[in-house]
Amino acid sequence: MQDIMLEVKAITKRFPGVTALQDVNFNNRKGEIHALVGENGAGKSTLIKIIAGAYQPDDGEIFFDGKKVVWESPHQSRGEGISVIYQEFNLFPELSVSENIFMGNELRKKFRLLDFTRMKRESQEILDRFGLHLDPSQKVKELSVAEQQMVEIAKGMCNRTKLFILDEPTAGISEREADALFERLHLLKKEGVSIVYISHRLGEIFKNADRVTVLKDGRLVDTVDVKRIDRNRLVSMMVGRNLEDIYPAKAKDLGEEVLRVEDLKIGNTVKGVSFSLHKREILGLAGLVGSRRTELAHGIFGSLPMDHGACVLGERAFSATTPRESIDYGIAFLTEDRKNEGLVFGQSIQANITMPTLSDFVKKTLINAQAEKNVCKKEMEKFSISAYGTEAFVDNLSGGNQQKVLFSRWARACGGILILDEPTRGVDVGAKMEIYKIIRGLADDGIGILLISSDLPEIIGMSDRIIVMKEGSVTGELAQNEIHEEAIMHLATLSRSEQTGDNNGRNAR
Amino acid sequence: MITTSAMKRLRIDPAICIVFGLVILLVIFGYFISDRFGTIQNLTNILENSVSLGLSSLGQTLVILTGGIDLSIGGVINLTSCLTSGIINGDSRLVVPVITGVLLLGILIGFINGSLTVWLGVHPLIVTLGMSMILQGITLMYTLAPPGAMPLSFDFIAYGRVFGVPFAPVVLVLIFVIMGVFLRKTKLGRHVYAVGGNAEAARLSGIRQNRVVIFVYSACGFFAALTGVYLVSRMGIGDPRIGEYYMLSSITPVVVGGTILAGGKGGVLGTLIGVFLIILLRNLLNFMDITSFYQWIIEGLIIIIAVSFYIEKRKL
Repeated sequence: MQDIMLEVKAITKRFPGVTALQDVNFNNRKGEIHALVGENGAGKSTLIKIIAGAYQPDDGEIFFDGKKVVWESPHQSRGEGISVIYQEFNLFPELSVSENIFMGNELRKKFRLLDFTRMKRESQEILDRFGLHLDPSQKVKELSVAEQQMVEIAKGMCNRTKLFILDEPTAGISEREADALFERLHLLKKEGVSIVYISHRLGEIFKNADRVTVLKDGRLVDTVDVKRIDRNRLVSMMVGRNLEDIYPAKAKDLGEEVLRVEDLKIGNTVKGVSFSLHKREILGLAGLVGSRRTELAHGIFGSLPMDHGACVLGERAFSATTPRESIDYGIAFLTEDRKNEGLVFGQSIQANITMPTLSDFVKKTLINAQAEKNVCKKEMEKFSISAYGTEAFVDNLSGGNQQKVLFSRWARACGGILILDEPTRGVDVGAKMEIYKIIRGLADDGIGILLISSDLPEIIGMSDRIIVMKEGSVTGELAQNEIHEEAIMHLATLSRSEQTGDNNGRNAR
Repeated sequence: MITTSAMKRLRIDPAICIVFGLVILLVIFGYFISDRFGTIQNLTNILENSVSLGLSSLGQTLVILTGGIDLSIGGVINLTSCLTSGIINGDSRLVVPVITGVLLLGILIGFINGSLTVWLGVHPLIVTLGMSMILQGITLMYTLAPPGAMPLSFDFIAYGRVFGVPFAPVVLVLIFVIMGVFLRKTKLGRHVYAVGGNAEAARLSGIRQNRVVIFVYSACGFFAALTGVYLVSRMGIGDPRIGEYYMLSSITPVVVGGTILAGGKGGVLGTLIGVFLIILLRNLLNFMDITSFYQWIIEGLIIIIAVSFYIEKRKL
């Protein structure tokens, strides 16, 4: 029992209309990294919130560090040593790293004035302990997502945290940054700190976690040692069925060229990129974070102005300066950040789906609402979007359903070319599989798809061909039979001296 | 009352019903307070008082829906009312051309507001505030006191009756209906909500958000100028200070009616109900002989309480 940091027994939590958790048992050992997985709606966040004291369970008990506890508030659990790091961090962008680390725990000197010098010094110590090369006086908004996460962890360490709970810590950061994060979590492990983390990235779990707990539909499926199972078994535990083929079959033959990008340059970031996209092809665009793939996509789409270069569609060469132009040429773009760049919250599924294609429903300047509704109903069925109707607000849909709304929007608006940027980010396993089928289905219908993804298994599983970028330039191209993880990583990390001079030459096809 | 499914079809925020209910309550209360409340004369008075507040708030609604705000409405009213009576100066041949000109001026000022917001990237609060001060200066340079005069027949706009029904309030409601249909049923109207809800997402969906923004400010300028013209009819003459009241008061019916200051949610129906709420309230308080200072306090409280109905309940 000395071994156990946290134990919850028979936890049940009900909300009006749904039982979020039923009779769940869970424990976490000192110095353990314990992964918590399950589809969306399985109850992971609810369990986390109960452990943190944000919710009260309707039934069951919580034991922390040997004694039974009842949390009145998250503040109380934090005081006892539980730190939760949510996906949207609780950091203050305009304040410095040290101010954030000590937020709520400020050090004071005489007359209750804040002792900035001491706080800065102690922040530096914590950062050094983790091997983080950050300046404590830097403003948090200047840091990358991965660095901000480390600040959150440092904040927790400052509070003498015994149990860290992380919600999807590696969504939105590169593989290398994720490794760095886990290195530091392993350091914490050695000090006896316990870690529970929610993730959809199964590869990571096998690399870093000690045990994994699977929840499904509010119940505990099992808790197992990571060494005792494999990926397939884990996925079938989560989904409740056997999944042999996560990725649909690849294209057998490609159509003619549907888009050619020629020497596209954007300022200092995209340095002359050229490639070709074909009908029925899924062209994967791989690279580490910072390879500027998203900027390239925005350049093609016209949402970022290109300084040089052109897109060639059939006979026409153009460089779009507004998204409207590209859409009229047939290019659709499902952007990376569905919250800030994709969905309009406060509006219905219907309004979101038809946003770029409203003209389809306009007769004599008035919108035919009934026609719009009928079409959207069909779209909801086609993409299996579950909600009570087309007029439901997108705000409350799950990540997977929100993403499908965007797929519906862009599939409708697409006239031959579809760019997808991290299409399955923050989406659970079951919905991911549906989305992969959707993507392949669109390609089979004749659309040329440019797939940007940081999820290596995903890009390997989906792409007919892969182009790799590093720091704004294309470093190489891989045909279907050349695609595997090492080749991609090699090209993604090619140093300047190793890159051959004529990048454009390499890619002309 | 209205069933929830009908409300969903018309996409009315159920909270508007509460404010609407308040209006009904005030009307009933009025009948109790005084027998003079229910007279045609008083009811007509209420309707007529709603026109100027209604027109100015209508323009403001459009702007707020895109997430902006227009503080220059008062300035436009001042300038247009003075130019109207000042230039016409009793000559009825000038009425049509001057009013046309003044309405175009309102559109132009709004166009400038919108363009500055879009091209300079300065927050509309600052742009329209600065514009309001510029307009004030221009107006006072033109005249320090109510200028010129209007032909008597011009009274018709504010006081006229058609078959016994007051002309201006009916036109007001018509204008509101037209704008309501515009917002719900046209592409540009939908775009207004998209830009207010998430300007970046709207841009990436191919919506030209700059055009939408410039449009709403131009429309607001138009309605402000229209308010100025109406007030000239109501008072018989322009006035370089009459607009001051509307600078902030045009915002109140908008938020009381459920349009969120952040933009993207709300509509003109709510604004109309908000206008009636405020005018009714004032009317009632007058009947109760409550001094203006208490009136302000009560109005302030009602505003805060009414807006609190629209705050989304936190999901647990």
